[in-house]
Amino acid sequence: MLSMLANLLKALNSESEPGQISLAFVFGMLVAFTPMWSFHNLLLLLLVLVLRTNISGFLVGLAFFSLVALLVDPLSIRIGEAVLTNPDWREFFTGLYQSEFWRMTAFNNTLTMGGLILGLVCAPVLYVVSNVLIRQYRERVMEQVNKLKIVQVIKASNFYRMYQSLAG
Amino acid sequence: MKWIRWSGLAGFAAVVALLAAIWLLLAPWLIRASIETLGSKVARARVDVQSVSMMFSPIGVEIRGLTVANASQPMENLFEVDRAEASLEVGPLFLGKTIIQELSINGLEFNTARTVSGALPQSASASSALDGSAGSKEDSGLASQLMAELPSAEEILERESLQTDAAGKTLVSTFDARKQQVNEAVAGLPDEKALLAYQEEVQALTANNITSLQDFQQRKQKLDELRARFKADKKAITSARDLIGETRIDLSDKLKTLRDAPAADLASIRAKYQLNAEGAVNLSGLLFGDDVGNRAAWLLHWYQELSPWLDKMNSTDGVEEPEVPRPEGRFVHFPSADPWPDFLIRKAHINATTSVGKLAGEAIDITGQQRLIGRPMQFTAEGVDMPSAKSLNLKLVLDHRQKPATDSFTLTSSDWQMPAVELGIGETRLDAAKAQVQASANVSAGKLSSKLDMQMASASFSGSGQTLFAKELTSALQTVKEFNIRAAANGELSSPKVELGSDLDRRLSAAFTQRLRAKQDELEARLQKKINERIDQYAGSYADDLKAINDMDGSLADRFTKLEELAKAELKEYADQKKQEAKDKAKSAVGEQIKKIL
Repeated sequence: MLSMLANLLKALNSESEPGQISLAFVFGMLVAFTPMWSFHNLLLLLLVLVLRTNISGFLVGLAFFSLVALLVDPLSIRIGEAVLTNPDWREFFTGLYQSEFWRMTAFNNTLTMGGLILGLVCAPVLYVVSNVLIRQYRERVMEQVNKLKIVQVIKASNFYRMYQSLAG
Repeated sequence: MKWIRWSGLAGFAAVVALLAAIWLLLAPWLIRASIETLGSKVARARVDVQSVSMMFSPIGVEIRGLTVANASQPMENLFEVDRAEASLEVGPLFLGKTIIQELSINGLEFNTARTVSGALPQSASASSALDGSAGSKEDSGLASQLMAELPSAEEILERESLQTDAAGKTLVSTFDARKQQVNEAVAGLPDEKALLAYQEEVQALTANNITSLQDFQQRKQKLDELRARFKADKKAITSARDLIGETRIDLSDKLKTLRDAPAADLASIRAKYQLNAEGAVNLSGLLFGDDVGNRAAWLLHWYQELSPWLDKMNSTDGVEEPEVPRPEGRFVHFPSADPWPDFLIRKAHINATTSVGKLAGEAIDITGQQRLIGRPMQFTAEGVDMPSAKSLNLKLVLDHRQKPATDSFTLTSSDWQMPAVELGIGETRLDAAKAQVQASANVSAGKLSSKLDMQMASASFSGSGQTLFAKELTSALQTVKEFNIRAAANGELSSPKVELGSDLDRRLSAAFTQRLRAKQDELEARLQKKINERIDQYAGSYADDLKAINDMDGSLADRFTKLEELAKAELKEYADQKKQEAKDKAKSAVGEQIKKIL
């Protein structure tokens, strides 16, 4: 966890695009809001690795939003329940249900459906807010943070130095 | 290409490959552990799997050397499977569901021997529940009645608790206690010698003239002392006589009870060891009851073990799930021709070797979530090249789609060469018979309705029993070449009412009734004699002792009378004696004067 925070700190302090870090947060949130062992999470993992997102940001986001998910899971389930049992959508979902691929995605699970909807709704907001916060951080807070003793300690650790040497 | 990281693709492939490798390495171990753990829980005996390996085209599992031990006979397998191969559908695996497209079970054999015990450490007590034979023997009261057919009078008297014995022992103990009490009471009483001494003393006091007032007073004092002793002795004799009276009544009652006991004993023994036509009417129950009972108990046991699993799984098939939100969410199922339950075997082929011959079976839709797939589980099997039957067909349908569940079973067989069957009584045996069998069973809402019809032909019986009954039974059975058996079990599944009948009863009944009656009479005569001997043993001497007690009472009565008479003796008063002497003296003087005058 310490190394992840260090990596995130490095990313925040680097010249990385704020969008890459924000997108990592968004992916972390989407994975966290839905059941871990779902087919769509495999696709999300592929996106995280192939797109140039910040992996540390993804992992920190996943950990943070997993805690948040404990609070929002009931809401997600109610959303999923409402959507999946909506008579207007029944025909559409019945069509999807006939496909082995779609059924494999567990779209008919209330938590998967609700969590994904909630995550997708929150994704643009999170992306924009994260971008703004990262920029604000770099402009206003970064210097003060670098002076903090805890940050000094992290930067002085062997692991951080090794990471820096490997990352160039 | 600022947003694309091509190396990530390789990373993704590596992650997926790693997960797949872990799954492939762990899956065989997990499957084996699951089969052994869950199987042992259901079978209450060891379940072992020799090996589990994964297949890749198609994706599937191969299981070799599956053995399920018999909980009631740990050195025997309930069944064993040489090889089972299951092809899995990949899609459902992503949802944690196991859908087996096709399962092939080869080399299924029943009741094979084991080299090591299959008992679980805690299964000792449970094994008795499976031991159908023990239960059926206990239940077969009539069987045990005739199993003990015509025991000797000595054997019956030895095994029965007789009222005669109890009454005899009571009499003995009562007599001993009373005798001691009477002896103690009589010991303190004056005997003949003492009475004679009393008499002499009284005479000595009353016979001689009183010489003086002092002499009178001394004699009176001694006589009063004697009277006091008489009074005490009389009181003791009265008490002793009362005790003897009570003893006599008590012993008479006990003796009467003893004399009445043999009749009660004989009536009780007669009722218990009755060999009457009723026994003959239920003879087929005795002959085949244990065999049929054991098999039925075995089937019912396994049905009751497995049935709750079907119901339990049905309750979680998603259709009736409560709509209360849960952290895991729930699956909302939509109409589909191919729903995915948590576990499903679409089709299973089974090749089994049984005592009848080889069986080829096919099962479809094996799942605990029948409401989800909308179809019941069905199993059909037929005999293949069976040496001992022309045909054998069976069909099992477990329909748990609705409540109450309805399960049905049908079996037909033609020209089945029955194996030798040890019959329930008289060491008789059905060596061979050709049977036509029709059986059906239906279970719904915990109620069983089943029947079995067997038409037997070319029957051949033998017997090695040496008792008269066994020989009679064997002779009677050997005259029978054809007979029918009808069995039915209806009622509560846990305790169905079993009826077993046969026209064999009618054929054997006539021959038996006469023979059993004669034997019954003979037995009762022997019993009567033996019980009478016991009466003599108890009552013979005590009747004499009772007479002796009566005599003793008479003797005490005489002593009491004698004491009363002795107590009546009186001393004359000294003054009266002197007056009398003066009178006598005056009378004498007057007489002499008259003589002189005359």
